[in-house]
Amino acid sequence: MPLLEVKNLKKYFKVASGINHAVDDISFSVEKGETLGVVGESGCGKSTLGRTIIHLQEATDGNVILNGEDITHVHGKKLKEVREKMQIIFQDPYSSLNPRIRIEGTIEEPLRHSGKFKSKAELKEETNRLMELVGIDERLRNAYPHELDGGRRQRVGIARALALNPEFIVCDEPVSALDVSIQAQVLNLLMDLQDSTKVSYMFVTHDLSVVKHISDNICVMYLGQLVEKASTEELFRNTLHPYTKALLSAIPSVDINNPMKRLELKGEITSPIDPGPGCRFAARCPFATSKCKEPQKLREISKGHFVSCCRIEEIN
Amino acid sequence: MSKADEVFLKVEDLEVIYTSGKKNVQAVNKVSFELKKGQTIALVGETGAGKTTIAKSILRILPNPPAKMLGGRITLEGRELTSLSEEEMLDIRGGKIAMIFQDPMTALNPLMTVGDQIVEGLLLHNDYDKDAAENRAKEMLELVGIPKDRFVEYPYQFSGGMKQRVVIAMALACNPLLLLADEPTTALDVTIQAQVLDLIRNLKEKYNTSMILITHDLGVVAETSDTVAVVYAGEIIEYADKRELFINPCHPYTNGLFGSLPGMTEGESRLKPIAGSPPDPTDLPKGCAFAPRCPYVMDECIESKPDMKEISPGHFCRCIKAGKEI
Repeated sequence: MPLLEVKNLKKYFKVASGINHAVDDISFSVEKGETLGVVGESGCGKSTLGRTIIHLQEATDGNVILNGEDITHVHGKKLKEVREKMQIIFQDPYSSLNPRIRIEGTIEEPLRHSGKFKSKAELKEETNRLMELVGIDERLRNAYPHELDGGRRQRVGIARALALNPEFIVCDEPVSALDVSIQAQVLNLLMDLQDSTKVSYMFVTHDLSVVKHISDNICVMYLGQLVEKASTEELFRNTLHPYTKALLSAIPSVDINNPMKRLELKGEITSPIDPGPGCRFAARCPFATSKCKEPQKLREISKGHFVSCCRIEEIN
Repeated sequence: MSKADEVFLKVEDLEVIYTSGKKNVQAVNKVSFELKKGQTIALVGETGAGKTTIAKSILRILPNPPAKMLGGRITLEGRELTSLSEEEMLDIRGGKIAMIFQDPMTALNPLMTVGDQIVEGLLLHNDYDKDAAENRAKEMLELVGIPKDRFVEYPYQFSGGMKQRVVIAMALACNPLLLLADEPTTALDVTIQAQVLDLIRNLKEKYNTSMILITHDLGVVAETSDTVAVVYAGEIIEYADKRELFINPCHPYTNGLFGSLPGMTEGESRLKPIAGSPPDPTDLPKGCAFAPRCPYVMDECIESKPDMKEISPGHFCRCIKAGKEI
C-alpha cells in the first residue's frame, strides 16, 4: 500500500473573470521513503497541489488517501492528527519564520501543541535534538530569524517540519531562494534525513536539475494538469511530451562542450481561468494539430510512464 | 578590424564600501578587469559578493551615503567616468551605458505606459521629435517580440517575461555601447529565460554591444559569456576565458561552485557543497577571504592575502596553491 495516494484531485478558485482551474484532475501515489518531484513553471498549480494535499486548503473534488485512510475532508481533532503526519517546508525562508519568535521558540511550537512533551526539560531536550539534526549551532538557540542567513533559516524551517516525525513532507521550492553552495548543503541535509527517518517528500520545484538529483519519480505539470509522469531515470532518458522536452532543453547547460539543442517555445503560459477542453499546451506547442483541440487523456506508454499527448507516436 | 581588440572598458582597483552605523561593509575590494568591444564578461558569485555594486559603480548610481567609492578608475573608451561631472554622467546613463535590472516587476514605472517609458529615454539621448521617438520605440518593441499595438499598455498588463523584454527594449533603444545586465533572467521561468537569453544574444551580435552579465547561474554563463570573473567577498578570485574556466577551474571556491551543482556529478548521489557561509563583509578575514571555508587551507592563507597569479595565459587566480597540484 502506498503511503499517500492522490486520486483525481481538483482545486478550483472562483475569481472575478471565471473559475481558475489551479489543480485539475491529478492522480499519483507516493511510497514510503520515496521522493516525488513535481515540476512546472510558475502558475502551473504545483504549490496549490502541495497545499491542497496537506489540507492547508480544502480540495474541490477528488481524494487524498494517507495510509489507506481518506483524509480529504477531515476536521477538528482528526485534522490535527493528520497534520502531525504531513508537514510543509516553505519556499522563502525570509517570510516563513515569525520575525519576533526566537529560533528555539519556532522549533518548539509544534512540539508544545502536540502535547507529547510535558516538562520544559523534555521540550528543551527535543529542540536540542532537532537543532543538532539539521545542523544549527546550539549558540543560535536564542537568535531571531533576522540574525540568520538564508541557509540557516531554511534549516530552521526543516527542523520545524520534522519536529513531530511526519511521514510526508511537502517541500515547496525549499532551495530556490538559496545560493548554489548553500542549496547543495540543504539538499544533502534533506536526503540524509530521508535516509535516517524514511520520510517521504513531495518536492515542488521549477529547477529540473534539482528535481533530477533528489527525486525517484517525477510529475510534470502544465496549467493544473499532469502532462507526463515517470520514474526519474525514464523521464530523462525517454522524454516524450513536447512540453517536458522544451523544459529540459531550456536549462542552460554548464557542459560547454555539449550545448543542448533547444526546442524553443513561442509565447508564455496561458491563463488557467476557464481553460478549453483541449490540450492546454497546444497554444505553445510546435507540434499542435487540430487533434489537440480534443480532450487529452493520460496514457500509460510503457510501465509506469504516463503521457498526456495524442501525438507522441508521430513526434517521437 | 583592429579596433575589435582594443580595450573598451577598463576597471582598475575599484573599491567601494557601505557605511552602516559604525561599521563599514567592504563591498568591493580592489576589483580590476577589462572588456573588449562586442565581448561579454560574466561576473559570477553568491548573494552579497558585490557583483551588483560593481555594475552600479560603473554607472555611478550607488546611493551616497551609504555607498562610498574609496578608490579606483573606470575608463570607457579612454574617458574616465569617475572624474566626469553629474551632467556628463546623465548623458552616458541610458545612452552609452544601459542597465537591465534584475526584477522586471519593479524596474518599470507602473503609472506610465511601456511605450512612454521607452520614449522617455529616446528623447533624452537623441535628437528625435516625439513621432520619431515613438516610431523607434515601437520598432524596439517589435524587435523584442512584443506587438507594437501594445505600446499604449501599462506594465501590469504584461506578464513577467514580457516585462523583462520591455526592460531590454528600453535598455537597447539608444544603441548603448555597454550593457549591464544584472541577473536579467533570474526572476523568469526556464522556458522564458531561454527566450530572453536568445534575444539578448541576437541583439548583442546585431549591434556589437559589449556586456557585463551578472549572474549566479553557471549555466547562463556557459551559454552567454566570453570571459568569466568569479567574485567572492568583493574580490575577483578567478578570471579566465569561459572555456578555460569551465574546463580547468582553479580556485577552490570555483571548484566548490561546480561541485554544488546538481546534475554535474552524474551518477553520484551526494553533492559536494562548500562548507559554511560567506564571510561577514563588515569583518573580512585578514588573509584570503575564502580561507574559513576552504578545504585546502594552510597557515599562510590565514596570515596574508594571496596575490592574483597568472597560471596560464589569460587565466588568473587568487590562491596560493593556484597552478600547483591539490
